[in-house]
Amino acid sequence: MVKINRRDFLRSTSAAAVFAATPGLAYSQVVGGGAPFDDYRALVCVFFFGGNDSFNMLVPRSDTEYGVYAASRQNLAIAQQDLLPITTPGTGTTLYGMHPTMTSLQQLFESGSAAFITNVGPLVEPTSRDDFFNKSVALPPQLFSHNDQQDQWNSLKGNRTSKTGWAGRMTDLIRTNVAGQQMATNASLFGNNLLQSADETIAYVMGPGGPLQFTGFSTTPGEPGFEQRQAFLRILEAQYGSIYERAFAEVQNRAIATADTVTAAIDSRPPPNTIFPQSQLGGQLRTVARLIAARDDLQMQRQVFFVAAGGFDSHDNQNQDQPGLLADISESVSAFYNATVELGVADSVTTFTQSDFGRTLTSNGDGTDHAWGGNQIILGDAVSGGQLIGNYPELRIGGPEDVGGGRFIPSTSADQYAATLAKWFGIPDIDLDIVAPNLANFAVRDLGFMA
Amino acid sequence: MNTRQLLAVIATFTLTAAGCGGGSGGTSQPPPPPPPPPVSKAEAFKVLNQASFGATEAEAQRVIAMGIEGWIDDQLVQPASLQLPHLQSLPRPQFLFELQPDRVDIWFRNGLNGPDLLRQRVAFALSEIMVVSQLGVLGNMTYSLADYYDVLSRNAFGNYRDLIEEVTLHPAMGVYLSMLGNERPDPVLNIRPDENYARELMQLFSVGLVELNLDGSTKLDNLGNPIPTYDQAIIEGFAHVYTGWTYAGAPSFRGAFPTDFNQIIPMQLYPGFHDTGSKKLLNGVELPSGQSGGQDLAAALDNVFNHPNVGPFIAIRLIQRLVTSNPSSGYVQRVAQVFNNNGVGIRGDMGAVVKAILMDDEARPDLAMDLDGKLKEPLLRLTQLWRAYDAQSASGRYPLVASFILFGQGPLQSPSVFNFFSPFYSPPGEIRNSGLVAPELQISSEYQNTYVTNYWFFQTFGLNQTNSDLQEDDIFIDFSEEMAVATNVDALIDMVAGKLLAGDISAALRQEITGIMALIPETETALRAAETIYLIVSSPEYAYQK
Repeated sequence: MVKINRRDFLRSTSAAAVFAATPGLAYSQVVGGGAPFDDYRALVCVFFFGGNDSFNMLVPRSDTEYGVYAASRQNLAIAQQDLLPITTPGTGTTLYGMHPTMTSLQQLFESGSAAFITNVGPLVEPTSRDDFFNKSVALPPQLFSHNDQQDQWNSLKGNRTSKTGWAGRMTDLIRTNVAGQQMATNASLFGNNLLQSADETIAYVMGPGGPLQFTGFSTTPGEPGFEQRQAFLRILEAQYGSIYERAFAEVQNRAIATADTVTAAIDSRPPPNTIFPQSQLGGQLRTVARLIAARDDLQMQRQVFFVAAGGFDSHDNQNQDQPGLLADISESVSAFYNATVELGVADSVTTFTQSDFGRTLTSNGDGTDHAWGGNQIILGDAVSGGQLIGNYPELRIGGPEDVGGGRFIPSTSADQYAATLAKWFGIPDIDLDIVAPNLANFAVRDLGFMA
Repeated sequence: MNTRQLLAVIATFTLTAAGCGGGSGGTSQPPPPPPPPPVSKAEAFKVLNQASFGATEAEAQRVIAMGIEGWIDDQLVQPASLQLPHLQSLPRPQFLFELQPDRVDIWFRNGLNGPDLLRQRVAFALSEIMVVSQLGVLGNMTYSLADYYDVLSRNAFGNYRDLIEEVTLHPAMGVYLSMLGNERPDPVLNIRPDENYARELMQLFSVGLVELNLDGSTKLDNLGNPIPTYDQAIIEGFAHVYTGWTYAGAPSFRGAFPTDFNQIIPMQLYPGFHDTGSKKLLNGVELPSGQSGGQDLAAALDNVFNHPNVGPFIAIRLIQRLVTSNPSSGYVQRVAQVFNNNGVGIRGDMGAVVKAILMDDEARPDLAMDLDGKLKEPLLRLTQLWRAYDAQSASGRYPLVASFILFGQGPLQSPSVFNFFSPFYSPPGEIRNSGLVAPELQISSEYQNTYVTNYWFFQTFGLNQTNSDLQEDDIFIDFSEEMAVATNVDALIDMVAGKLLAGDISAALRQEITGIMALIPETETALRAAETIYLIVSSPEYAYQK
């Protein structure tokens, strides 16, 4: 809590200097209660906004399959000899490699802590190329559109009007199990998002460095700023005539209430020794590690964190931009994994990725356009790592899964992916259809990648 | 009979009755047009918060004197205050990104103090629909960003068809959505045209994803499903249209790079890189093969412009930016009709659209409902405060380039082409449960709200005229008038509420401020003024645009 004597501030302080320092105020404190789960589990969603070109992240390296890839990719292909080899049990003579910048993640794959879900994406029901062109199955609405496909990944709700997210529904289902938690189960470090949106529970949005505190308030009676804080709260609790004022006041109330309960949960724990990349993603994941370190102070039993990175919409300059993007993914999520090892929670924390869509195998000259299925990363010691989950598509233009230009129909649905994670999180099988409403359309309810 | 017709009948009856009662015969003269009803201060504030960067008491007096329609008509003919000439008047720095603070500065200056209040407000709204951003690939193309904004300002009351052509060919948009440098296909290398601009022009700037009725509601097919406006084949058709364009005057198509000069003039066609095949467009139209790039572009933009979705699409977005998050279907339809025909047969007259939005009965309804109005955008809460309190800096500049961090938004500072928030955003709780939306709530997270509220703290207690320690670019407000009355708490609250809320302050807010004032000695006039402004500007009622 930063206390400011208002009069001193008014009279003599260089306001600009003080204001410049405010981002450093950062960390909120959260306090705890009790909960009936007998363990701690956390899911960390890493969202790549714009549509990650994940067929350059995980690439076939055996000659025949690489040849198909290179013929489709042309000037955007990664050189065969540059691919980082990985060992993929069960893929027969087809061998795979990772983008040359992803050495840290390659090591975690080889040591069994990371896996890829291949060609996964939104589906309503199993879909073949004929089904697609004959329109004989229901399809997710507005394929290839950024915001609509982000919404599909996050909500799995198709055209249904109720807009809740699958993590939000998961959180609603367990809300009585975690009643003692003093912070919301869903926490975002990247703004409001549909994934965590729910009917009964509210996600808490903090900044990339953690919660921000209100300036000039005190929670201690008699101190400067105490009466002002009380008045501020009473103003928020007044009756308002418009839906917009009421919604705004609710957010302000939640923000101040969280800041109010902050004592030192995060700051009382030493920061991780693990070095994180100085990137947007690295910074957010470092904060998640600090929040997890404080989980007992917060009496958290279940948490879902939302972090994200942007810049993946590589219509242009893909060969220049992609190495940095993929290197950041590899370094950031690997550092986060290492931090969970340091904290002794590597088997309780599972990181998974989502992105708008995969990208076309064909080039538009110097980049790629919006497609459909793609490859995603799962990471943690509860993951049955060191393997590819699902079918990797034939990367041939006009191949059996291509609907045009190298846009591949997913062979695994985002519903199956979410349900497998939800089951590990503690959602009973009978409730998985609430989390993943299209799950019943698929034969396999559990993809088996969580131990 | 609807209410309006009923009122007309009553008015006629009243006139007739008055005529009889007067008993005067004589020649019949056409009655003079009734004078517009007098405008209250509250109404003047309402229209100014919709139509400018914030109501002030001085401008409210002009609205009252001119009448609302008179004021709008006057605003519609004000020439555009521009950004680029200002940037060009400054020394050329080594890197153009160094001019971003000056670009933000001239945006604030034009918006806060320019004579074209309404034009600047509408240009800002358009910049949230046809988005380009400083954040990303345009960071070092500051001249181009400024010129793009000038395109929006100049065309704010022009024709939408001209606007989308200037937007389409602008190098800032060309770079941002990668139409610049887009080539005809090369089947041997599996290279197809870039679909980025093709998709986003339709989805975000013009027609949207699904077919709309004139009133903005979604058209449904026989099975009750929405009807997509276009499919992948149409995206690809437009992607082929937008081939062959890059910086004007480049030595070669593939060797083009931005210069100070070519980033502020329309892109040029390089015919050898334009696809000459046939192209599938909206509504079953197919462009024939063999057309020039210019012919293809004109036909494609005509095709988009004439799609029946554009009227309701633009109506909803502009109403949401200016007036209310949840317009009635009737309001949308009335504005869309004006888009389709301004009364003299012209489609796309944006000045007429803006006037129809602001003059509609629903813009300032007699009987307010709890879904009327909107949450003010955080940046507009700032500009209103600055206008009301004559904010300035010693340098005369407003280089608040960190706006997107402090407020979650800033001029041409969106995180993506999807703007700071979605027109469809519906926060959990009563708004979503009622099937309503509140776009601005998307950036009203706990985190961002705290940032904004803390800014109010520093603005009121620190960045004010009593601070002797200000840096030359610190933008401070002037509450010396408040200090002069601050010994009288009621007078102080009345003054601040008068400037920020048209005097319409809730009893609860007045009571809490009064309570805090009792803790501050009456000699501490600056502290009293700062606290009062802080509590009002951070209150839900100030955040709300009625």
